[in-house]
Amino acid sequence: MSTIGIIALAAGLYVIVGSAVALSMGNAISHAVDAIARQPEASGKISSSLMIGFVMLETIAIYGLLVSILMMFVLAGRV
Amino acid sequence: MRTRRLSRRSEEMVVLEIEVSIMPHEFFIGPVNVGLSVVVAWCVIAVIIVLLLLAQLRIRKFTTKPKGLQLVLELIVENVKKFSVSQGGHKAGYAAPAILTMMVYVFFTTLPELFGLPPATEDINCTLALGLCAFITVNATAVHALGVRGRLRAWAQPVAAVAPIRVLTDMIAPFSMAIRLFANVLAGGVLMKLIYMALPVVLPAALSAYFNVLHVMIQTFVFGMLTLLYISEATE
Repeated sequence: MSTIGIIALAAGLYVIVGSAVALSMGNAISHAVDAIARQPEASGKISSSLMIGFVMLETIAIYGLLVSILMMFVLAGRV
Repeated sequence: MRTRRLSRRSEEMVVLEIEVSIMPHEFFIGPVNVGLSVVVAWCVIAVIIVLLLLAQLRIRKFTTKPKGLQLVLELIVENVKKFSVSQGGHKAGYAAPAILTMMVYVFFTTLPELFGLPPATEDINCTLALGLCAFITVNATAVHALGVRGRLRAWAQPVAAVAPIRVLTDMIAPFSMAIRLFANVLAGGVLMKLIYMALPVVLPAALSAYFNVLHVMIQTFVFGMLTLLYISEATE
């Protein structure tokens, strides 16, 4: 296996991070919708804290994406 | 053997065509390499200052009954203040001017991507400096709200044993903000470059409305919101 092939495999492992973040985002959305259905008058507060949670989750996904992009373009360019 | 060599060559072509680097493009002023992103940021700051001076000339005198341009400016300032208080608690109103400044800077230095210039926030040095500014804002607000002793005591809040971990959490925050902003802008740029490579005719015009304008607005909002989140954590 060539070095570029190994780098491509390693960059593709980012999908694991992406699916984990997708699972947790789905969990967060389902609970938020549940909470809004129970208490529609608190929907503003619930959705603002949902946004904060999304930002935190998205940070993890973006870290993975950064590592993957750097592996694909910067590391592969040096081989 | 031959197909392998061919595929190897096509891989090299892809690698060479999209040039992604964490180092900024070179720009020499005399013998010093200041980096293209820094020059772009200077130009953007100059444009903003000129626009603000023009606004000052246009309004001349602020009246108690605002109208026209004054109304727009007051609306922006008022809304940022309201946003700070709603997200970061009533003590975060102290930090609202700094947050508005950082949000304006992030928005207008990422926007030049529309014109094909490298945005300043695609440079990790710029975002690290922004993270440092946010860190100083958070700590200044916390010291203003609680005092130096109150701020130190807040670290040892539940038990004194957790103090090192809480200090570490606070120290990591600016790096986390810097890297997420940098990676978001970098990912947007890489995606747009890939789209330009795939279909350079109609699609980029439609998608750059999202990746170069709306995405930038979201990142600006998120940057302000994260700073306010850290402020609300620090001033509790």
